[in-house]
Amino acid sequence: MMKEKSTHHKTLILRIMIKKISFLILIASFTSCATVRDYEKVYLNDSDMVLSDKKSNKFITSFQVYREAAAGANGGKSGGGCGCN
Amino acid sequence: MVLSTFSSFSQTTGTTYKKRVLESTEVDILTSYYEQDGDNAAVTGGIGTEKLTDFATSFVVSIPLNEDDVFSIDATISAYSSASSSNLNPFDSGASSGGDDDDEDEDENEDKSNGKLNSNAVASPTGSPWIESSGASKSDVWVSGTIGYSHSSESRNTIVGANISFATEYDYSSFGVGANFAQLFNDKNTEVGISMNAYFDTWHPEYPTEIHSYNEVNGDLNDGFFEEVDILDQNGNVIDKNSNYVWSPFNTTLIQDESRNTYSASVSFSQILNKKIQFSVFLDLVQQKGWLANPMQRVYFGDRDNFYIGNGESIPIYNSKDNKDVFQLADDIERLPDTRFKTPVGARLNYYINEIVVLRTYYRYYTDDWGVSSHTANIELPIKIADKFTLYPSYRYYTQTAADYFAPFETHSSTEEFYTSDYDLSAFNSNQYGIGITYTDIFTKAHIWLFGLKSVDFRYDYYQRNTGLTAGIASAGVKFIMK
Repeated sequence: MMKEKSTHHKTLILRIMIKKISFLILIASFTSCATVRDYEKVYLNDSDMVLSDKKSNKFITSFQVYREAAAGANGGKSGGGCGCN
Repeated sequence: MVLSTFSSFSQTTGTTYKKRVLESTEVDILTSYYEQDGDNAAVTGGIGTEKLTDFATSFVVSIPLNEDDVFSIDATISAYSSASSSNLNPFDSGASSGGDDDDEDEDENEDKSNGKLNSNAVASPTGSPWIESSGASKSDVWVSGTIGYSHSSESRNTIVGANISFATEYDYSSFGVGANFAQLFNDKNTEVGISMNAYFDTWHPEYPTEIHSYNEVNGDLNDGFFEEVDILDQNGNVIDKNSNYVWSPFNTTLIQDESRNTYSASVSFSQILNKKIQFSVFLDLVQQKGWLANPMQRVYFGDRDNFYIGNGESIPIYNSKDNKDVFQLADDIERLPDTRFKTPVGARLNYYINEIVVLRTYYRYYTDDWGVSSHTANIELPIKIADKFTLYPSYRYYTQTAADYFAPFETHSSTEEFYTSDYDLSAFNSNQYGIGITYTDIFTKAHIWLFGLKSVDFRYDYYQRNTGLTAGIASAGVKFIMK
């Protein structure tokens, strides 16, 4: 019973992964957008436009990793290093 | 001295100018104070105080070795005090403590020749899942360190990096290695990144006192911790320890394999859409193997008789906070599969609305083969309120389904293969409200020794879960640039 459930989960995860990879490929097609030159990146270079969490949010992310079952996909750690979920 | 040694590497002898990846050494000092409370402690089987405080500080130093290479060190120390963890041994919560336990410091006061209590000790221990105990497991210190190195190509279109890390606390240690690669295309409008990490973690297991003690005396309830300690049945009557109707753990097999390894592969894709919008997508594949349950966490089965230590009159109000002096003996520690496969996928989109406001958004979908799926949505709206000051209001919504193995206090069945009453694996949703303020001086006019002050951050976040858990975290950060 548990084995069947595990196989079902794996198939489900595989399907979700295929969907996600397709989504990534779709996103990649956006590369055809007009290129923004370096001298036009003044807004994009604003420190608040960085595509990652601020360093000072480190401990906020850390408590979320402990208190929630989900983690990862934020450009940082996705598990390991603590006895957390 | 270390910093100046490294900074000497950054002197260039070439005649052509190349913009450095990192202009000068940066030092970030981060600190936070976290406090939480709730009524579903996992150490006491899904009911009980979850009061916890944690104070953490981190030093992050990034040092340019030359125009292309950056060396970084991250050292973090986190000290917590937890009412729930203290109840690993709940039987020393007050004046009426007694019995042997797994508290090494207190054990030193015992008769070491036979492991029994000094005959002068008080006979009847009590405890409660609602009261913090004073045992050694009440507090702990987590220390971690990461050393990283990254190299950027001449064109700055290729970045490679590697890191090693360690972490240790009383019952857990970790060693990690990682590598990352990023390639930029399309005039640096597009970036694809890949990273791999492996953590080789080890439990140094601590068990609930009654289970640890039961194994220690091979089930003899007239010896060790249990000697001269009354065990009560559901009606509050003292049981005959020599009869067949006695308490015993459901499963006396404890951790066989102390390893807990994590292997992750991450792919990221970032794209500039126009002069004001950029986004990124992250996909992680994470495989965990080993002892994935926490040996400190008790489970109580609904289909087994209940036994207690303490005041029998408090048994009818066991689940209430009014229970100050009776503790139910565990049926088992939590048991979970020895593998877990996690798949989180996330996306960020940032929009520079105007010179005053930026919109930062984040979404993540997560699923794993334990039956948990979750959605996370975060929005932050940095608002420049003055030349050097920015406000950071934010809101985060999180929801998850329960793991297949979760059930509340006293609702698991002993016929199940895996079980936990850890509410972090239950179905819940949470709201998090945050506000922060940042002072930034790009000219670093203020100085401390060789370092110019670049920025100062303050932030407070309030977290509320629909299971009743609430938490607050105040964090601060200071960034210095070496002049």
